Amino acid sequence: MSAIVFAGARRVYDLPSRRVVALESFDLSIAEKEFVVIVGPSGCGKTTCLRLAAGFDFPSSGEVNVGGQKVTGPGPDRAVVFQHFALFPWKTVHDNIALGLRNAGVPAAERERRIESALKLMNLESAARAFPHQLSGGMQQRVAIARATVLDPAVLLMDEPFGALDAQTRVVMQEELVRLARVNPRTVLFITHSVEEAIYLADRVVVMTRAPGRIKEIIAVKALREQEGWDTLPKIEDVMDQPSFVQLRTHVWRSLRDEQVPSE
Amino acid sequence: MPGRRGLIAAASLLGLALLWAWATSPFGPVSPERFPSPPLVGAAFLQIATTGFAGATLPRQVLTSLGLVIEGFLVAASSGTALGLAMGWNRRFAAFVNPVFQLLRPIPPLAWIPLVILWLGLGNAAKVLVIWFAAFVPAVINAETGVREIPGALLEAARMLGTPRHRLLVEVVVPAAAPMIFTGLRLCLQATWTTLVAAELVGSFYGLGHVLSEAQQDIYPGMIFVGMAAIGVCGWLTTAVLGWVERRLLGWHASARPAHA
Amino acid sequence: MPERASPSIGLAAALGLAGLAVFFAVWAGAGVLGLVSATFLPGPLTVLGELLHLLTHPYAGATLPQHLAASLQRYGGGVVLAVIVGLPLGLAMGWFRPLDAVVSPIFDGLRFVPPIAWVPFAALWFGTGAGGPVLIIFTGAFPPVLIGTYRGARMIEPALIEAARMLGTSNRRMLTEILLPGAVPSIVAGLRVAAGLGWQSLIGAELIVVSSGIGYMMVQGEAAVATSTVMAGIIAVGLVGTAIDLLLRAAERAVRRRYGLVGGGR
Repeated sequence: MSAIVFAGARRVYDLPSRRVVALESFDLSIAEKEFVVIVGPSGCGKTTCLRLAAGFDFPSSGEVNVGGQKVTGPGPDRAVVFQHFALFPWKTVHDNIALGLRNAGVPAAERERRIESALKLMNLESAARAFPHQLSGGMQQRVAIARATVLDPAVLLMDEPFGALDAQTRVVMQEELVRLARVNPRTVLFITHSVEEAIYLADRVVVMTRAPGRIKEIIAVKALREQEGWDTLPKIEDVMDQPSFVQLRTHVWRSLRDEQVPSE
Repeated sequence: MPGRRGLIAAASLLGLALLWAWATSPFGPVSPERFPSPPLVGAAFLQIATTGFAGATLPRQVLTSLGLVIEGFLVAASSGTALGLAMGWNRRFAAFVNPVFQLLRPIPPLAWIPLVILWLGLGNAAKVLVIWFAAFVPAVINAETGVREIPGALLEAARMLGTPRHRLLVEVVVPAAAPMIFTGLRLCLQATWTTLVAAELVGSFYGLGHVLSEAQQDIYPGMIFVGMAAIGVCGWLTTAVLGWVERRLLGWHASARPAHA
Repeated sequence: MPERASPSIGLAAALGLAGLAVFFAVWAGAGVLGLVSATFLPGPLTVLGELLHLLTHPYAGATLPQHLAASLQRYGGGVVLAVIVGLPLGLAMGWFRPLDAVVSPIFDGLRFVPPIAWVPFAALWFGTGAGGPVLIIFTGAFPPVLIGTYRGARMIEPALIEAARMLGTSNRRMLTEILLPGAVPSIVAGLRVAAGLGWQSLIGAELIVVSSGIGYMMVQGEAAVATSTVMAGIIAVGLVGTAIDLLLRAAERAVRRRYGLVGGGR
């Protein structure tokens, strides 16, 4: 059974001056424990996709189902990692991670145990009592990921989670996410505008067209990755040096390039 | 360098004190009948501290004003913040209230004094009502703005984590709006002191404003000075307490304000 | 969940009108139903009638426009004085750190004394003359002028000054083309606050020390238990204050546009 299904989803925004079609006849099925990355030019409606799955926004027509249920609003079964982290600045790292568990009524002892293991998994043990503004961007995003994964959600929705990080931190986070995803696979819908990031992380890459956003191409990466043994390589630059990776990257680049706004 | 700056500040205040002493001395250009010399101020202070002036000694006058300020501030700040939060929370409610609010807002707080005296006389209730008219407005505006400016992602994150609707206010809305609310409270406190002093000057039986008004009628410059200084010290004290509370509550806030900003 | 979207314009207008209707109905109804004696809370129409009456009939020695004219004269004097003193001092404090270090502590010490507390000295020094209210308006309007100017002078990015130096700008040009224009938006914002606080201080001063002006008219109304006169005065004070603020808002917008800062004041 598919974990996330977009069936002919369409989203139209009526602005005072004009009507914008953000998403058009969008059909996509994401399998259980599959890692799908959507790439596209800015303003192509990829964030709209994620918001529909999260339940922050609803399709004008068509349907979005998660776990066989129509999405009617946000909930802890579909945890979101936001681009700018969206940590509660007045709560410590520990308390940010605790909120979802408290809302779910998890008893205190188990709560602490789960928070502790989430902190450990994300290398955050020393920062548990810190406030978000005392942490670097990379650390803040670790907290946001811990806050989402501690709930053990059916699906994880990540909206350009590394977009606000500097290049070095970004690489570290990408490697860590791969480590987490391969060890403990979950259903992930990941949005990015970075081609390398998409190919490195994804089981399947979805390329979108410029507005109105449609699916242009879906590229299967998983079989190639396993065949070429990318995951056995410790560093991202080693993976990116592989001829198979380079070839795929060029392919996605060409596909995307046609969608860039022509610059005169 | 803060050390050097502190030294200059001390020197500057000392210089001003010396200038004051010289200017009001027999050799200076200012008659002590127009502006009191330091000894005259000292004498006035001794008098009000021991035998009293304008009906009571200094502690009683200070406590009268301070009590009214605290009472008025608490009433205005709590009601104003509550209304502001409600307006920020519910846009339809805001649309309902806003025109009336905008109608009353431009009226300078002190202009209410004659009307309130007509209604309630010169007692404490009148003072609290005038303070409310003055201090209510900044509390409302800042609380409303604070709620409106909460980043959408924070609210979405809270909902995504399954926060029930009735807990959203405590978990997210109030803490997120708190820095703006405190900005409002500082303005609120300032307005409270201004209106209280004005109201006491216009008519009252005790309080620092009453001391000022009696000293004015007695043409007693030393006592005017003491009254103004007492008001300044009390104003500074209450502001410092508010700043302390803010820093205690908003320790998480990256730009939590320094002691007296 | 706070609503993120505003209601539609039509709904907002309907709700706003309903709010106003409730406000005026309660105001008028309290008197009609005898909850409050009309002596203490005259209805909206009575107050409006009184306001119109005061336009042509003198009360406490003058008609409403004459009272307002007297008030505005003092107001203008106090605000202009605050600008004359505050503007150069603020610029100087912003540009010369030693002066800042000397003046700031004195300014900070006086900050916690409300303008209205100067009334006794104003009376002592000027009696019932024009100087008293002018002094009080000055103490109300001076701090925002000083702070706005000081911030404007301090806010200029060092990189801009370095860029101007690199382009060989003379000292005089530096002042007229870089430093002053850079400070102007903050100065104008300070002026707007000063205008508001000055107006408020004026009303306070007139309640106490003078024998003409809108505040004096209200005090006389209070003494005679002429509630409708007092309320008409409140409305007049609010209207003039609004007019002053609108004028300065327009000026602020114009200045911000002129200096390439998009959008108006808050």
